[in-house]
Amino acid sequence: MTSALDTLLRAGSGPMTSEMVLHPADFGLGRVPARLKPAAATTAVCGFCSTGCGLKIHLNESGEAINLSPDPAHPVNLGMACPKGWEALTPLAAPDRATTPLLRSRGTGLPTRDSDLLAPVSWERALAAFTENFKRIQQKHGPHSIAFLSTGQIVTEEMALLGALFKFGMGGLHCDSNTRQCMATSHVAYKQSFGFDAPPFTYADFEESDALIFIGANPCIAHPIMWQRVMMNQRSPEIVVIDPRKTETAQAATLHVALRPKSDLTLLYGLAHLLIARDAVKREFIEAHTAGFDEFAAFVADFTPARVAHETGVPESTLFRLAEILGKRERVSLWWTMGVNQSHEATRTAQAIINLALMTGHIGRPGTGANSITGQCNAMGSRLFGNATSLLGGYDFTNAGHRTHVADTLGLDAARIPQKTGYAYDQILDAIDRGEIRGLWVIATNTAHSWINQSRAKEILAKLDFLVVQDMYATTETARMADLVLPAAGWGEKEGVLINSERRLGLVKKVARAPGQALSDFAIFQLIAEAWGCGEMFRAWRSPEAAFQLLKKLSAGQPCDFTGIRDYAHIDAEGGIQWPYVEVGAAVPSRPEFTAADAPQTQAGSESRPYHQSIRHRRLFTDGRFFHADGRAKFLFDPPRPLPEPPDAQFPFLLLTGRGSSAQWHTGSRTDKSAVLRKLAPTVLTVEIHPADAARLAITASDRVVVRSRRGEAEAVALITATVQPGQLFLPMHAEAVNRLTFPAFDPHSRQPAYKACAVALARL
Amino acid sequence: MVASKENFPLLAELLAEQQRLDTPVARFATAHAALSGSQLSTLSAQLRPQLLPLTAPRPGEQYAFEVDLDSCSGCKSCVAACHSLNGLDDTETWRDVGLLVSDDRRHPFSQTVTTACHHCADPACLNGCPVLAYEKDPLTGIVRHLDDQCIGCSYCVLKCPYDVPKFNARLGIVRKCDMCHGRLAHGEAPACAQACPTHAIKIVTVTVGGALCPDSVTTESEHKAPPTTFLPGAPDPSYTQPTTRYVSKRALPPTLVAGDHATLRPQAPHWPLVFLLTLVPAAVGTQLVALTQPDFVTYYVTNSAWLAGALGLAISVLHLGQPRRAWRVFLGWRQSWLSREALAFGAWFALSTLTLVLQSAFGIRHFAFPCATAALGAFALFCSVMVYADTRRAFWRFANTAPRFFGTAVVLGLAGALACGELGRTAMPGSPHWLGFALALATIAKLVFEARTVLPAHDDRNEVTPRLLTALLLTGPLRAFNELRLFAAVLGGVLLPLAIALRVAPPAFAWAALALSLLGELAERYLFFRAVDAPKMPGVGA
Repeated sequence: MTSALDTLLRAGSGPMTSEMVLHPADFGLGRVPARLKPAAATTAVCGFCSTGCGLKIHLNESGEAINLSPDPAHPVNLGMACPKGWEALTPLAAPDRATTPLLRSRGTGLPTRDSDLLAPVSWERALAAFTENFKRIQQKHGPHSIAFLSTGQIVTEEMALLGALFKFGMGGLHCDSNTRQCMATSHVAYKQSFGFDAPPFTYADFEESDALIFIGANPCIAHPIMWQRVMMNQRSPEIVVIDPRKTETAQAATLHVALRPKSDLTLLYGLAHLLIARDAVKREFIEAHTAGFDEFAAFVADFTPARVAHETGVPESTLFRLAEILGKRERVSLWWTMGVNQSHEATRTAQAIINLALMTGHIGRPGTGANSITGQCNAMGSRLFGNATSLLGGYDFTNAGHRTHVADTLGLDAARIPQKTGYAYDQILDAIDRGEIRGLWVIATNTAHSWINQSRAKEILAKLDFLVVQDMYATTETARMADLVLPAAGWGEKEGVLINSERRLGLVKKVARAPGQALSDFAIFQLIAEAWGCGEMFRAWRSPEAAFQLLKKLSAGQPCDFTGIRDYAHIDAEGGIQWPYVEVGAAVPSRPEFTAADAPQTQAGSESRPYHQSIRHRRLFTDGRFFHADGRAKFLFDPPRPLPEPPDAQFPFLLLTGRGSSAQWHTGSRTDKSAVLRKLAPTVLTVEIHPADAARLAITASDRVVVRSRRGEAEAVALITATVQPGQLFLPMHAEAVNRLTFPAFDPHSRQPAYKACAVALARL
Repeated sequence: MVASKENFPLLAELLAEQQRLDTPVARFATAHAALSGSQLSTLSAQLRPQLLPLTAPRPGEQYAFEVDLDSCSGCKSCVAACHSLNGLDDTETWRDVGLLVSDDRRHPFSQTVTTACHHCADPACLNGCPVLAYEKDPLTGIVRHLDDQCIGCSYCVLKCPYDVPKFNARLGIVRKCDMCHGRLAHGEAPACAQACPTHAIKIVTVTVGGALCPDSVTTESEHKAPPTTFLPGAPDPSYTQPTTRYVSKRALPPTLVAGDHATLRPQAPHWPLVFLLTLVPAAVGTQLVALTQPDFVTYYVTNSAWLAGALGLAISVLHLGQPRRAWRVFLGWRQSWLSREALAFGAWFALSTLTLVLQSAFGIRHFAFPCATAALGAFALFCSVMVYADTRRAFWRFANTAPRFFGTAVVLGLAGALACGELGRTAMPGSPHWLGFALALATIAKLVFEARTVLPAHDDRNEVTPRLLTALLLTGPLRAFNELRLFAAVLGGVLLPLAIALRVAPPAFAWAALALSLLGELAERYLFFRAVDAPKMPGVGA
């Protein structure tokens, strides 16, 4: 009786309590609430950043994803994921998904574009509008008057089909992708220095270094899972962060080098000077495997510690310490990201890093390398198969032999392959501005938000005769300007391969139904090929996996040769496979080493998953042979150039931009759809201000301020912190307002925009 | 060529293919994944010894979170993992990551801080719950919430200084972190701890009552400098004795403040409570004023007071997420001022009703009844004051809350009496003149008292205190309501009553005075809820 009364008075159980009770989930997933108990589980590689984490997707009876967790057996992330990975399924269910094609109802070429005028139409009508408008433009203004801007966010097979369709089928020439905004510099730097765009490292190098030097990289926030690998390093490594800001990574480093913004090229040359002066270079390696060292040595002779300290703001003692780390530590790895890539002299800066690795012999061994951490999940796929700068598979458009080879492999007429490369992103926009390009097809990117000096980009897009946007959402800043919106399926709604930072091919699987009539980008390209009248040309591309087999053939004999990969199932079974990967017995272009540390592993993970033990972690250049014809890597250099827009009396601050939160991805078109990710990012734009500047301008914490540049202004809330230097401000790049401010400077080699530095003024509101 | 009939087959085929799940490719991993069975994945299993204590807590000990600040890099995976693995609702999170910053110019420093429920030794949520919906597990010390017991009053949300319990609108209850006790019981680490890429979160055993004692960490992390304080920038731990251990090998700069320490965060208005705490004081006040003039105890006054009380109490039910469970509200009377308040209001209303019934139906007008009713009402109001004072929020301290609540009673009691007197004019000689003067005086006194709240807004703003934040809220985001409050009080509580008392305005204007005074007090109570500085763990800026 008492217990009945107790139960009545205190309900310790019931439906709400049951909701939270955890039950064994099976599939190695621990315990989950009953509602989320999976009927099956499968794996897929994450579709946000280039880390390429393996995710375990929890499926219900009908094979539909109901939840996910990071895959403990995956060689990249070892059971961890950042918040974006955890929330990867949420953006698929957003209410503003594009579910049918949308066509602007009032003709085309309107001076102002308004999303209200976009009306749902059938796919047939949409395809007709696509072909009619683009063909009309081509007839009137020539075949090269249409262009596309694509992305590093779609699978490799889709990138390749898009590039092939546009250039070989539709007769276009000018195309580029948003990888221009993140990775073009690394691409060009590696290609010029090594002879092929080949990031040499494997993530195991994070764990095997004695010293890690991060230059313009904040992995704690931008690549948390790579930072996890750094934290797994058992060698008590020196961790150096070269960054003007005391970032989260700099806080965790053993040495933070707070140099003046964009003085990194000078700093790196100064270190080269010191290493030579102290005879701390590896002469044997230089002589056997590199070219151009003497010229480089002569060039850096001027970069004396006194000069470098003066120009970079880094004390000479710190320069000496850096030189000592580089010269004396057994295994030094150098890592860079956007702080280097998004600069007015980005390519030479990346190559200055490469030069340091070459001259000290810190390459081709465990825990070494001049290593570019990539941005987007498939930037590496785009670099190899985007068909923009290089011909499909890392070939050269200007080389007749390459054109014939690619045409033969794909069963095309070689005459359909353009003999030159087209415009880069900024040049395409300039050509639109001039009226040379009249039709633009934007695929899975958000130019109207992300392009540098955004206001001008919007004005330029408004000049187009016909703008097609193919995206998951009809609500992106760019889609709202479109004449035609094509509804695309997203990550998790289609199949294909992504290539991560360490050259690992990973598989994306279809575990969710695309809403309405949305189609995978691959299917959309197939439909457009048919509608355009060039469907015959792409008959062999009947499915993503069929396309993968074509790409595999294209890779044969290239440094990126992955002909040893049988099929999707093979990739899946291995937890991703790094290129190069050739069949056993075939010649390996780079002769990758199977290092002792990586070789036969008997870790517990292999019990449940039969990984091919020796292929999990591989690095390049273990034999010192590079991809130039002479097998040597090149020392490349140029004198540093001044900042394109230095602060002055009117705009006295230098604005730095960068990633704000690990929960945000680029323009937020996906991450903003998750309430959890939104919660994990600041709700309003926050500008970091040094206390001295704040005191001078009578700005106190959380005050509203305005940041103005010559191009626009942005309102923000003040966060007063000495993690930025006096005279500098920091804004996270994800807010739409930030690129109103940025100054359109470009690296001359990579044409990558220099987002990281422009002159601004600051005032309290 | 345009899309034509012959393309339809391809389109139809592709659209159908797009909707087809469970493709061979999607199934690849399923078979071997199933082999691993219900055991935890190998890596997490390997980590278990690092993340969990090897033995159960002994008497005098409990489980606690330990956060290694040196390893926390602010990736926030813990928040997302907790959300996903516990199946929380779309907008629901039980963990949060904030930021500590230093404005020390020579030593730039920032520190990310992950935080969830601290499973306090003396939990304020538990102590405040009117229905005993919280329990502290005697073995593990985990502060658990009984979801089916909760009435959704959200008082724990106000009581917890760390902003831990979260109201779930779908369920109409509060939910919070339970340290994944269902995982711990099976040797599995909590979701946040499993998911931290740098293993910054783990479960340790701590000595209860010695939460801040340096010797209390009993894990292998003893080599780390034990914390001497809970965490800079966090609310005073002496109130609830949080058990979470924040450890760091580095000395944290003394100048650290929360990234959002100066952020103005208007709090939820709690409209039903605004009406409850305006109408019930009005009723009690009217009863009190009526006592001073036994002759004046009219039918109208008694009825109006009863009506206001009934209305206030009825509206207050809307505040509850699960009103059908509210009958259990008496359970917590030993510990919870909210439980006492509910009981006192219940008794007061019953007595008010009895008084009314005796008076109107039986003509019994014994003076003891209104006296007892008013006294009980005043006690209930005192309980109301204590409900807020007991949250230890600066703006809601006793010295600030009591004058406001009782001030409302006096002002609206006088205004009500003034109006009721007007209503009863034909039968009675009309309300005494002093009522008008008294109302004006009471309103002025209350306004002067309230004005002190906005004074810190003009102080030196270098030191951000809860009082300053309240002042800045009242003069910033809430300025319009503050001005409305002032306007209504000056016109309805001062000018009109004076005009009536001085016979410049007709007595019928008493109705306008009452309406405006009521509006002014509603606005004041609204600001009482919105302008409070709610303590919380460090958040991010803005």
